[in-house]
Amino acid sequence: MSEQEKIIEIEVLRYRPEQDEKPVPQVFKVPFTDDMSVLQGIQYIKDWLDGTLSYRWSCRMAICGSCGMMVDGIPKLACKTFLRDYYPNRVRIEALAHFPIERDLVVVADDFIEKLQRIKPWIIPKEARTLEQGEYIQTPAELDVYEQFSSCINCMLCYAACPQYGLNDKFLGPGIIALLHRYNADSRDGGEAERMQEIHGHEGVFNCTAVGYCSEVCPKGVDPANAVNVNKTKVAQDYFLRFVRPKAKGGME
Amino acid sequence: MNARRPYKRPMPGWWRKNPFFVEYVIHEATACFVAAYAFILLAGLVCLAMGEQSWNAWLAQVRSPMAVLAHLIMLVAIAYHSYTWFRIMPKTLPPIVIGGKRMSPAAITGGGLAAAAVTSLLMLGLAWGALS
Amino acid sequence: MQIHQADVVVVGAGGAGLRAAIAVAELDPRLRVALVSKVYPMRSHTVAAEGGSAAVVQSHDSLEHHFHDTVAGGDWLCEQDVVDYFVAHCAEEMVQMEHWGCPWSRKEDGHINVRAFGGMKIERTWFAADKTGFHMLHTLFQTSMKYPSIKRFDEYFCADLLVDEGRCGGVVAIEIASGELVQIQAPSVVLATGGAGRVFRQNTNGGIVTGDGMALAYRHGVPLRDMEFVQYHPTCMPGTGLLFTEGCRGEGGILTNRDGYRYLQDYGLGPADPWPRKKAMELGPRDRLSQAFWHEERKGRTIDGPHGSVVNLDLRHLGEKKLRERLPQICELAEEFLGIDPAKAPIPVRPAVHYTMGGILVDGDCAAPLRGLFAAGECSSVGIHGANRLGSNSLAELCVFGKVAGESAARFAQDSAPLRRNHLAEQASDVEARVRGLMHNPGTERIATLRTEMAKTMEQGCGIYRLGDEMQATCDKLAELRERFTRVKLDDQSRVWNSEWLLAIELGYQLEVAQAMAHSALQRRESRGAHQRLDGYEARDDANYLSHSLAIYSGRDAPRIDYGPVKITHLPPGVRAYGAEGERVEQERSAAGV
Repeated sequence: MSEQEKIIEIEVLRYRPEQDEKPVPQVFKVPFTDDMSVLQGIQYIKDWLDGTLSYRWSCRMAICGSCGMMVDGIPKLACKTFLRDYYPNRVRIEALAHFPIERDLVVVADDFIEKLQRIKPWIIPKEARTLEQGEYIQTPAELDVYEQFSSCINCMLCYAACPQYGLNDKFLGPGIIALLHRYNADSRDGGEAERMQEIHGHEGVFNCTAVGYCSEVCPKGVDPANAVNVNKTKVAQDYFLRFVRPKAKGGME
Repeated sequence: MNARRPYKRPMPGWWRKNPFFVEYVIHEATACFVAAYAFILLAGLVCLAMGEQSWNAWLAQVRSPMAVLAHLIMLVAIAYHSYTWFRIMPKTLPPIVIGGKRMSPAAITGGGLAAAAVTSLLMLGLAWGALS
Repeated sequence: MQIHQADVVVVGAGGAGLRAAIAVAELDPRLRVALVSKVYPMRSHTVAAEGGSAAVVQSHDSLEHHFHDTVAGGDWLCEQDVVDYFVAHCAEEMVQMEHWGCPWSRKEDGHINVRAFGGMKIERTWFAADKTGFHMLHTLFQTSMKYPSIKRFDEYFCADLLVDEGRCGGVVAIEIASGELVQIQAPSVVLATGGAGRVFRQNTNGGIVTGDGMALAYRHGVPLRDMEFVQYHPTCMPGTGLLFTEGCRGEGGILTNRDGYRYLQDYGLGPADPWPRKKAMELGPRDRLSQAFWHEERKGRTIDGPHGSVVNLDLRHLGEKKLRERLPQICELAEEFLGIDPAKAPIPVRPAVHYTMGGILVDGDCAAPLRGLFAAGECSSVGIHGANRLGSNSLAELCVFGKVAGESAARFAQDSAPLRRNHLAEQASDVEARVRGLMHNPGTERIATLRTEMAKTMEQGCGIYRLGDEMQATCDKLAELRERFTRVKLDDQSRVWNSEWLLAIELGYQLEVAQAMAHSALQRRESRGAHQRLDGYEARDDANYLSHSLAIYSGRDAPRIDYGPVKITHLPPGVRAYGAEGERVEQERSAAGV
């Protein structure tokens, strides 16, 4: 492995609300080795060149979901994107698209958290069970139905990839709908009717026009586009079935 | 005093900035050709119902060089639309489990494309047979 | 300054903090819980735990076995009554996690599956593939959302505890987004802020693991117990220190040196069976495995790499299918960070700092000596890990003692006398003046310089093996760094999301926690568990050191090191052995009826 030091130019879109009217690019020259991630490049800037640069990070291993940002215009986790793949060109870094910038590479994430709360992301038991009765039985096949959707790390890259969310932030969005589906598809859960109310109408699944980019950028293979589109069929079914079924439980309006 | 002043970035020309979005927009645009051709066929049906004279006039129209060119353009557009449509299809389906294994997205897309190709050829065969 | 009122403040929203908050909400929904975290809860470092969580479920296993593995694994420095409580409540908590939706891996019949883990006699590690911590954290976070009494303060950085008349009365926190300070007054405070592994250079920890809660309690006179015991995890990525779970070895992975030889058999861990034998070879405890690496390195039998020497973690024989199913995250890490397909090539690994066994002194109810203060999880020392933690005991600890801490704090809040709110508010103003002062501190020292020097000296003095003069050098260096820290200079004086300001405060926490570690290590003149000396104190010394160290804060000076008794209920100190030797010792012990 060659550990020869090279210099890469990192262009960061800066925004310091107390001094900048709007975001402005700033270029830093960063020495790097082939095993360095974009995150390590940014850390170098923070530590040695300019302590005022702000960004979120923690685990460095693509599981905490903190360091999502646009790298050359593509939503990526900075910790598992490598500088060597951009060298000798300049690499451009910007806060995650479609979210308001709080400062530098930090976006305002309140909207995501508020929507997460709204879909009731917890088990609403199909049948009650006490701790003494032990665990619910769930076969590997039943686990397989929702496991992929439970792998969402809430990094919000899919929101930065979704033009519909960018154009209308009322849209529930890919990640949250994937999590909604995760609970609905869980054999232990009986809360589907309660949750489905959230994805009817324009702010729900039908805001999605099947761009599919959300699943492309997902670093964990969750395939949120699948969750969204499968639920389009479900919502349509619910809609038509209410004319057939005398009184659907859970009540849809 | 709260110094927060979140900055919302505008999105002008967003679809030009990423090849994935360009492809998506072309996919959406080619839907117009699908609709246009449906209208042409519908017009043919209406003409047929109106009698022999109208039907012959419609036939003459679609045989004009300009109409043939338009057909070729529509064929390309619709083929592109079908191709990209089937590429998205795996994302729209619940898991299909065959023999205990999940069907791969590539298999779903491939299957869809094959089905479309076979149906088109069948239709072509039927039409050819009817004409000759 | 904005003032919030609550009944229980929980600082830290990782596994322990979330479990504590839920426990309060379930015990008494009228109690207002303020859940304060410097990151969004799902970013907490619990997320990075991979292998699994211990709880006895198999019919041929027993609580006694789990107890024994834990106490012997901790080299008898465990509080045995607390371990008793712990092992008895693990299964209940794991089932509770299951009911809340945790996607545990299953057997074909739909029951929970368990895997083998280091130092555990029988398979009792519940797992969710190799993302157990991730799934537990998200399950707890999402479940916590259903309790209206839990009010979250996401991205609020805890700057200090409020203490009045020897009683904790809340916290002062910085709202990171605005840079404004708030005080949250409450009769009970639960610290659940995690470990302090970032004081070392190569470590498995996230950037947020900076010992905040430990330092906060410590500054207010609460002793930090057993801080010399720092766990090196034997299988980490060279350079970054990223973790390859013990589950790799639980599933049958082996460790080999440059000659392809399973070197662990040379260090009292053999015989080298071709199949995984519990409590032997690769399934030995972490301290022993990391120590074996150290010896191999000295013998020149490791492999040279760009980030120091490595050995091979070989998973090839497990096969592609099993690797993808049981260890998907490991495959992803190896492929994306190292360009290695673990089904085709071995993974280079070396030890890195992973876990702080010690922490805030608390009793079995998770109560600290400061009234109204409770602690749970890695920041605490409730007494179950002793001198070396067994893998999969810490995730279980988060649940078992998170709940205990929450309930203790809730009961304390229910019975407490009113707080003197004016006094607390005055104190909060002092805190604000102090932390704002740091932002404008006149000086010349760069944060990164101090932090780098700290991490380097900790690695030199408090590594896998320790020497008196090296530890002394580290203690001296830390004193110097603390002095230089008074002259720290920030580039950033703005308010909104000023992360440099937070880094400076964290560095202050880290330096004090590092000092507690180094001085506790220097004073312990024996070798036990993760604390191994090579300067004439190579053996365990029960006569003099079967006791907990207590680091007591002494202002600008080095901490005073005191000692406290170890609670031994029914397993007297014995020989700690693994492999064939361990089996022999165990037979003797059961023959003797101990």
